Amino acid sequence: MATISVTGYTDQVSVKPGETVDIKISAENTDSAHVEIVRLIHGDEHPDGPGFIEEPIATSVSGDYPVHKQFVDIGNAVVFEDPAGMLDLDGSLSMACLVFPTTPLKGRQVIMGKFSLEETAGYALGIDRDGHLAFWVGDGRETDEIISPVPLVHHTWYLAGVSYDASSGEATLFHEAIVNPYNGRLGRVAPFDHTSRVQQRLKAKVARSTGPFMWAAATNAAPARGRFKDFLFNGKIDRATLFDRAVSPDELRGLSTGDLADSQPLAHWDTTVGYGSSGIDDVVRDVSGHGLAGVGVHRPVRAMTGYNWSGRHDDWRVAPEEYGGIAFHDDAVTDCEWETTVSWTVPEGTRSGAYAARVTSGDAQDHIPFFIRPTSPTAPILVLMPTNSYLAYANEMIVHHVPVGQAILAHAPVLTEKEADYYQDPKYGRSTYDHWVDGAGVCFTSWKRPILNIRPRWRSSAIGTVWQFPRDLSLIAWLEHHGYDYDVATDHDLAADRGLLSGYRVVLTGSHPEYWSEQGLDDLEDYIAAGGRLMYLGGNGFYWVVSYRDGEPHLMEVRKGEAGMRAWQAEPGEYYHQTSAERGGIWRNRARPPQKLTGVGFTTQGFDECHPYRRMPDSYHKSVAWIFEGVEGDVFGDFGLALGGAAGLETERYDLELGTPPHTKLLASSTGYSDNYAGVTEDILFNHPGLLGTQNDAVRADMTYFTAANDGAVFSTGSIAWISALPCFGYENNVSQVMKNVLDAFIKPGTLPGAGWDQEEKSWT
Amino acid sequence: MSSEKRLVGRRLLRPAWPVRPERTFRRWRYPFTKRPVLNLTGKFNPITLKREMVLTDKKPMFWLVGLSALLLLPVASGTERVLTLFGIACIYAAINVMWTLIIGTAGLQSFATLATVGVGSYGAGYLSVTYGIAWPLMLIVGLLLGALMGFVISLPARRLDGLYYALLTLGLSEFMRNFVTQSDALGGKFNGALFGVAKIVPTLGTPRLTQTVVFITTFVLLLLALAVFRAVNGGRIGLMLKTAATSKEDESFASAIGIDFQRARLWVFMIASGALGFIGAFYSATVGGTSLQIFSLDLLLLMLAMIVIGGLGRAEGAVIGTVIVVFITQWFVDWGPWRIVVVGVLALLSVLYTRNGLFGLKAQLREIRTRRQTLHRAATTGRYAEFLPQEAPEIGDKSVIAKRVFERDLRGRLRSWISPDLIAEHERKPLGQHSDHLERMLNYFRKAPIPDKYAVYCEEPFARYRVVALSGLPGVPPRVVDDKVYDSLDAAYHAVFLRRVNDLRAS
Repeated sequence: MATISVTGYTDQVSVKPGETVDIKISAENTDSAHVEIVRLIHGDEHPDGPGFIEEPIATSVSGDYPVHKQFVDIGNAVVFEDPAGMLDLDGSLSMACLVFPTTPLKGRQVIMGKFSLEETAGYALGIDRDGHLAFWVGDGRETDEIISPVPLVHHTWYLAGVSYDASSGEATLFHEAIVNPYNGRLGRVAPFDHTSRVQQRLKAKVARSTGPFMWAAATNAAPARGRFKDFLFNGKIDRATLFDRAVSPDELRGLSTGDLADSQPLAHWDTTVGYGSSGIDDVVRDVSGHGLAGVGVHRPVRAMTGYNWSGRHDDWRVAPEEYGGIAFHDDAVTDCEWETTVSWTVPEGTRSGAYAARVTSGDAQDHIPFFIRPTSPTAPILVLMPTNSYLAYANEMIVHHVPVGQAILAHAPVLTEKEADYYQDPKYGRSTYDHWVDGAGVCFTSWKRPILNIRPRWRSSAIGTVWQFPRDLSLIAWLEHHGYDYDVATDHDLAADRGLLSGYRVVLTGSHPEYWSEQGLDDLEDYIAAGGRLMYLGGNGFYWVVSYRDGEPHLMEVRKGEAGMRAWQAEPGEYYHQTSAERGGIWRNRARPPQKLTGVGFTTQGFDECHPYRRMPDSYHKSVAWIFEGVEGDVFGDFGLALGGAAGLETERYDLELGTPPHTKLLASSTGYSDNYAGVTEDILFNHPGLLGTQNDAVRADMTYFTAANDGAVFSTGSIAWISALPCFGYENNVSQVMKNVLDAFIKPGTLPGAGWDQEEKSWT
Repeated sequence: MSSEKRLVGRRLLRPAWPVRPERTFRRWRYPFTKRPVLNLTGKFNPITLKREMVLTDKKPMFWLVGLSALLLLPVASGTERVLTLFGIACIYAAINVMWTLIIGTAGLQSFATLATVGVGSYGAGYLSVTYGIAWPLMLIVGLLLGALMGFVISLPARRLDGLYYALLTLGLSEFMRNFVTQSDALGGKFNGALFGVAKIVPTLGTPRLTQTVVFITTFVLLLLALAVFRAVNGGRIGLMLKTAATSKEDESFASAIGIDFQRARLWVFMIASGALGFIGAFYSATVGGTSLQIFSLDLLLLMLAMIVIGGLGRAEGAVIGTVIVVFITQWFVDWGPWRIVVVGVLALLSVLYTRNGLFGLKAQLREIRTRRQTLHRAATTGRYAEFLPQEAPEIGDKSVIAKRVFERDLRGRLRSWISPDLIAEHERKPLGQHSDHLERMLNYFRKAPIPDKYAVYCEEPFARYRVVALSGLPGVPPRVVDDKVYDSLDAAYHAVFLRRVNDLRAS
């Protein structure tokens, strides 16, 4: 019997009691699955810890459900609704577009057209198997094609088009390159001659097809799954036009020079129209007056440099007319659009936390996570789960694609069956650590798809330990063990509810809250400045700029800029988010280094071993010495579920030049890292020998503490591994002791311990 | 043609099609088809980036030239002898094309070809002589008889394989011959000769004119046969059979993906047999009779020689082979039995020295050339660095070559550092800071390209690990390298290390 598999996702990241979460399940080789709701307590199976802990919840929805395989209509396209059927041409037609193919040799691709492969009907401009421009017509029985004799060169802008006269069957297919010193991979010195005009009489006529007019895809259908997109295109498409009559190539050329208006096209899509000061939507607008607008699916990337990019501007807001490029990728997925299998309305009184729908069928099981936050604060402590950062890593496959991955990570990857399977068919899309098929960095990531690694127990193949969500569950387990009252909320709740933080005395972060929206940072900063207390329990936090569109909290944008420890870098001129019109990249390069908020900021990463902290002189000052009450000796944290130490993986440093508040106390520091711990790239001006761990003083992990106004305070551990040390030795250890000291102090209102010791004299223990 | 002189070794390169970017390039098609007259594909010359037009499929052109020559040469020569000779060649060629369909496309070793032709020939002839039916009806009768015959002899093909089936079908010819000899109605009295059959081409003004028209009708017959061949072999049924073509494994594969190749095979056999019957009837109606010669073993072997010389499985091979053999046997009549010896020697040579007759020669010569090129490049290896010299032109990204040169030197250094101490150091502590030599070695290993790069596979966390190698190809899972299982990650990391050290040693 074939192996059973089950997986799924929820429609929302986080819900409140009274709200409904839709659980969408797909299963293969089975028609029934048992669903239960569980509360997740601990997610790291390392033998030095308590193992996997979940707590089934009695709910009205627990039970067996019929399940079936749900498909994903993968890949970007622009779909034109066209209710009046104006694009449903069956006679003469002409079309042209500005196109930038990135994988011309991948196989047949449709650039634009209305073609149904299943019906063998319609018309489309595309690229044939061997990378030549092609025009296809289908008459319902057979197709005919005209193919350009000149191959398309990847990463080059073309004006490409076709003119087709139905009465004679005569088709003229043409393209010419538009090359300036900036807009493509190659400059004008590469002696390519791209100009082509070819004529041929076509045998088949155009028959109407039932699929929609699309950019970057044709329609296909299969019995098991119905209609889906096929012949997907990789590359950029800028402006385009369509005529319901044969128009000479010379006239179509008006598309690139801007004088098309007199020709009265059926559609003239100007991709630069509709750019707002706060972002760009998914609509491609028709300026011909016929209103033939289309909508992008799986969020094609906009704000891309266009055919006419002059290289003068690096921001689409300054020169939108040069940013008409829309990038399409055949492996993009931002919403699987599955049917709901189970809907659970969270009962009032359900405690907040990390939850999962546990789906079981035969030997197969999956935990589909979601979060429940309280309607109003029920405790002084808020655990802020860094869901932005979970999304950034969703379905990451670094070790399979990046040759230097093992050098970065210092060991051979540790694969599991699920990951090996997913690598074979990455049908649920990629993470912002991966590249799309054509090599462009993935800048969108979504919650609305099965995600392998936002799961309890999942161990990152790259790191060899847990990463993000399953690690952060160790904090939940620790709070549970020590009986703290706490609420759980997520980055997504912070975005939905601006007042969220103010209801809590202390906010605890996850282990790696790396991705932040401007608003999230603002709220956290406001919270601290107003007297809130932050326990920053991670490393490499508050680092990358992300943005969401209003009403679409499942879909996050990241553009990795010219600095930072990054898996890819946006192309020149493409650093500005389409979602929010702000500059992407690291916050440090937008004058907001993490040190300004937390006292520490990213300084190094390494994945071979973790280390203990050593107390620094500051920690003996009475204003902070209370943090180490009950901790014996200078060294602590020499254990942990993450490579044997509490300090490591990705770590932070105190740096006055980067905005660490001057009164910040350096409580402890961890040193002695291997050469696998390299200094971060944003610190490097000239690269030179001596920037690796054994020779670089910046390669360390700093633990800091500073007070803010109104009894506010920030305690930062400066290490991702910190949380993984908490569950060791039955949750009773010196890392746990430090945590308890700080947390116990932070949940008490009023003056913080040690606050009176504001002089150097006699203040030392 | 290009005006520039382009050189390849000592000979001029094949002329390139002109490229005129300023002009509209017109693609012509054969009337009523989607086939291009000249299937020109453009490409950029990788050496110069200049545009080139290359004729990708020259076959239609060769067919056009070849068939035109076959039609025009005899007609132009005008002698009855030449016309007769080529008329015979056309009929034999038509038979051989159909036989090719049976042997090549259907993959059935049937020798009942001439028996089927004979059935059509005698059947239609008999009806014409006895009942006076006209030639168009004769052709239809031939077709039906052939198809019936095909059906009957296809039955044992389901059970009999290869040699046994060949023997059976061979026996069938002999049976037919005996049958005719003993049948009075079929001219047994006249040693099997049947005459007085209705003719397609009546006697015209001059014998030469008559012969010319007869020749043209045989040429049309050949065209028809080629059309049938194209429709069947190039059509859906032919595609299905190609999947099951070469071996028993292919047959199983074809069945597994839902291709009923047995059925497809029988269909091809029936179609080809029908056509053979048709040709038989055509033969009777062209010659005005038929004779036992048609069932003779020597003719069958001669036809086999034609196919072997031309190249098995290809229509062009069947036609050219037939023309050559017919020419030898009919033109050099005064050589007597030596003609047969010459044909035999030709067949022997093509079996011994060619892979697939005349039409397999091109691929064969190309391979020989590539081999010689490789040898030549290999002889100059000293000038190249760390890669097989014949590879260099195929590496589009020249930085790969530079990288290999660099790594050759690096590997040399690393290899000299391999020692039991170094391996012991890694075993003690696979992760973390190591001695300089070990660190450098590990960095080299870890930076290797993804294909065949080692990784650890976790079967059970903290209990069962294996060593695998990544594919580097999307869609291809990692491959397990051996059956060893490790109980800790450190042990697995070290196993990976040992493998890499071994690979470094061997490199």
